[in-house]
Amino acid sequence: MSLLELKNVSKIYGELNALDNVSLKIDKGEWLAIMGPSGSGKSTMMNIIGCLDKPSKGQVLFDGKDISKESRRKLTEFHRDKIGLVFQQFHLINYLNAVENVMVAQYYHSMPDEKEALEALERVGLKERAKHLPSQLSGGEQQRVCIARALINSPELILADEPTGNLDEANENIVLDIFKRLHKEGTSLIVVTHDPEVGEEAQRIVRLEHGHISSDIRNEKFSEG
Amino acid sequence: MNKKTLMFFRMVAASFIRRRSRMLIALFAVIIGATILSGLVMIYYDVPRQMSTQFRSYGANLILTPSEEESISSEELEKSISLIPENELEGYTPYRYENSKIHNMPVTFAGIDFESVTKTSPYWHISGEMPQNDGEALVGAKVAEKLGLKTGESVSAENSFEITPDTDISLIPEYEIFEDPETGEKHCDHSLDISITGILETGGSEEEYIYVTYKDVEYLSLTKRGYDIVEVSAAAMQDTLKSYTKRISDDVEGVSARLVKRVTASESTVLDKLQSLVFIVTAVVLVLTMICVATTMTAVITERRKEIGLRKSLGAYNSDIIVEFMCEGLFLGGAGGILGSVLGYVFAQLVSMNVFSTSITFRPLLIPITIAASVLVTGLACLIPIRSAVDVDPALVLKGE
Amino acid sequence: MFFRMVRGTFVRQWKKLLMIALTVALGASIATAMLNVMLDVGDKINEELKTYGSNITVIPQSEAVMNKLYDVENGETQDEFLNEDKLGELLTIFWANNITDFAPETDAQVLLDGNEVKVVGSWFAHHFEYEKKGTTYTRDTGLINLRSWWDIKDGQWMDESASDSDRYAMVGCQLADKNNISAGDSITLKGSRGEEVLTVSGIYESGDDEDEYIYTTLSAAQRLTGTQGLLKKIEVSAITSPEDELAVKAARDPSLLSGDEYDLWYCTAYVSSICFQIQEAIPEASATAVRQIADSEGKILEKTELLMTLITVLSLIGAALGISNLVTSGVMERSIELTLLKAVGAKNGQVTFLVLTEVMATAVVGTAVGYLMGYVFAQIIGETVFNSAIEMNGMAAFIVAVLILFVTLLGSIPAIRLLLRLKPSEVLHGGH
Repeated sequence: MSLLELKNVSKIYGELNALDNVSLKIDKGEWLAIMGPSGSGKSTMMNIIGCLDKPSKGQVLFDGKDISKESRRKLTEFHRDKIGLVFQQFHLINYLNAVENVMVAQYYHSMPDEKEALEALERVGLKERAKHLPSQLSGGEQQRVCIARALINSPELILADEPTGNLDEANENIVLDIFKRLHKEGTSLIVVTHDPEVGEEAQRIVRLEHGHISSDIRNEKFSEG
Repeated sequence: MNKKTLMFFRMVAASFIRRRSRMLIALFAVIIGATILSGLVMIYYDVPRQMSTQFRSYGANLILTPSEEESISSEELEKSISLIPENELEGYTPYRYENSKIHNMPVTFAGIDFESVTKTSPYWHISGEMPQNDGEALVGAKVAEKLGLKTGESVSAENSFEITPDTDISLIPEYEIFEDPETGEKHCDHSLDISITGILETGGSEEEYIYVTYKDVEYLSLTKRGYDIVEVSAAAMQDTLKSYTKRISDDVEGVSARLVKRVTASESTVLDKLQSLVFIVTAVVLVLTMICVATTMTAVITERRKEIGLRKSLGAYNSDIIVEFMCEGLFLGGAGGILGSVLGYVFAQLVSMNVFSTSITFRPLLIPITIAASVLVTGLACLIPIRSAVDVDPALVLKGE
Repeated sequence: MFFRMVRGTFVRQWKKLLMIALTVALGASIATAMLNVMLDVGDKINEELKTYGSNITVIPQSEAVMNKLYDVENGETQDEFLNEDKLGELLTIFWANNITDFAPETDAQVLLDGNEVKVVGSWFAHHFEYEKKGTTYTRDTGLINLRSWWDIKDGQWMDESASDSDRYAMVGCQLADKNNISAGDSITLKGSRGEEVLTVSGIYESGDDEDEYIYTTLSAAQRLTGTQGLLKKIEVSAITSPEDELAVKAARDPSLLSGDEYDLWYCTAYVSSICFQIQEAIPEASATAVRQIADSEGKILEKTELLMTLITVLSLIGAALGISNLVTSGVMERSIELTLLKAVGAKNGQVTFLVLTEVMATAVVGTAVGYLMGYVFAQIIGETVFNSAIEMNGMAAFIVAVLILFVTLLGSIPAIRLLLRLKPSEVLHGGH
């Protein structure tokens, strides 16, 4: 059974059809890249998948359950339990240190546990910098804290929006390595990007243009391997 | 304490410690607001009391006159005065008038207490000195002009009258009394030598008398009796004074008390104006200050819209965020309120000492009121921007920029 | 380019700048309202204090007293008078506009049912006109203003505009009690030179000796004593400045003052200089201050002004701190964005200038709006408390402008220091 399924989803902002009758199926453990120029509907799609927004029309099925009709509160609970978010601008809380930023996610999810949070930082290679404030961390380090925060509640799906958009190449590679490891461990990944290099790492690449899916291809690299 | 509560306090503490400059700015705004609130309100409540004392410079506002008998005795006076609360009584001066002649011109002498008269008639202008002893006199400017009297001079007041059973002959030497050989009536001619220590100028009818001690008027008239009129100065408003006059007139036989309407009616008019002036000034300044506090708090919250969006994207319910942020806001309000009420008291005291040279009445009730008001204003000022931030879709906030 | 940048930030950052402008406007409005009320409060309270009645009495100057003293055998001095037609001279003095009320008086001992009582003739609500050298001076005045504390127990105030007003009188409550007089009764007064039958229009309570008097029109009282056209006294109520050292010095003897001091004294509305001017205008008169009223007025004015000054200072400090506080936080935020300009090569001076221009432009708009708001607040205060408009003072506007300028600059300092210290790279990494 597929993890996530969009059925004829449309999102309309006034006159603009940001998404126009889009259907998409994503399997468990799959690494999907959503690509396309700006204004193609990438962000809208990501928001709908991430349960941060509701579609104007159509259905969103997660584990076979339609979540598009759920109440806001239910949606919040659902998204908190199943999805981890990684942002282009990291969005760390600037007055909390690295480990505290991770713990905030635990706090809203279940129970904060500093030991677990430190382990999550260790997984992204930042254990030594756990007590640093975001302003004392480099961009790449901040993004790794952001990833650790996304991972902490063991979500079924990691949703990353331009995760490398603000990073230099060295840091980009570190982040991609973490994604590869997660993929191997069986975590489902959706990465929204316009960077072909990042997209190339994914198992499957979906291209969006003017709110439509223009192509949906399997990455040969993976089918070979 | 479970881990969740612990984390809650850890976040709030971090917010205070690591966002010091922002928090100080907000705290500062609350302190200013609370200081102005407690300071101005304290002054507002103290103005009538303080100004009322100033209005005593108009002199007596209550007058006692004998109702049936000729004069007011010392016992009646004491009883009447005891009906006025001591802390409101500024002073009282009994007057006893007697007629006499100087250079064959009729003049009226008034026996007074020279010390208490400075309380009941603070507006007296004296060129020269206030008399201290028996035999010294203060002469009203009109009398002085009429008789050509000057400070430093000595004059004699002469009295010649028939001796009646009322006359206290023990006051004079035997040789001053002589008997009319035809009628058998006893007469006496005696004089009182007084030295003029000062001339009194008031621009009013007080200038028509010569003021001496009670003992001197007694000697002049050779009669012991009470007072003709008593001037009382009490620091109280018209309605309170009215209740005193009623009490005195009812309880003390032989004394009728009435208000000096010119002083009391005008005082309540002017004092009302003054108090309403301070009231509306306080109100206007308070409203504006509270808006100032609110804008500062709003600015501080609005800065954190992104953070609110992020917390929502991490799965926080709207209610969680409101509780967290309000907690910070209310803490600021409380701390600012406490500091402000202390500073406000200091300020009110400063004003009171400078303007009225007396200490302000401390009103303990104002402390909880100030704290409650600043918590309320800060709370409201936080709640509105938090609610609006919470209602915005996190996707929009996080995407923005 | 510079102005395009400023305009650009205005358009993009209007919300933040609006917040700064709003705070500046609030602070400016507090300052404007308080300063104007403070500067006008003296005059306003002074007008209120007029309810205490006259603060100057004008009486005939006695001639050489001693001469008279020994002429008169029975000890009764002859009465002296002022001329009624000289009354208008009061309105020609330098401080005439400060004379809010005045009333001429003459009194007489008359017989009422065989008992001696005092009758005072005066004005009640009188319309007075005086013409001199082609100028007409007018004033509506009388006891209705000078005896504001009178309580009318029965009947009403005398209506002086009625054609037969000469036939009316008002009676003090104690006298009325004693003689069983009530409003509407007729009383017959026997004076030394005539007899008048008057209708009682009202009974008043004054709380002093006047409760034993009868008040009637000036001409009725004059007819009783045969002193037509003559006055014994004029009560004058004038708005005066509180006494200070100069006034005390002048009160001793104006001729002892130096030229400059004399001019200053003469052109200040001290009660002594007004008295002096009245004596200049009516040479046969002697004008003296009623100390009870004049002194107390001075004291209360001084206290009120001091109180208002201190309250104003508190409000100004509050407003100043409030503004500088928010400007600091507002500019701090803005300047972090502006630091980006440093990244593209702008010099410190340019960036500072940009910040200051932006803040000052905002402050000017805020001050203008705040001044108008403050004007409204001042008028609200004036209308509610004193039922009259508060005069807007040019000095207040100046003080507000200087204060806001200073405070805004002061508030910008921490932000500018931060701006100069920050390295663009730090800002770009997003942490602050």
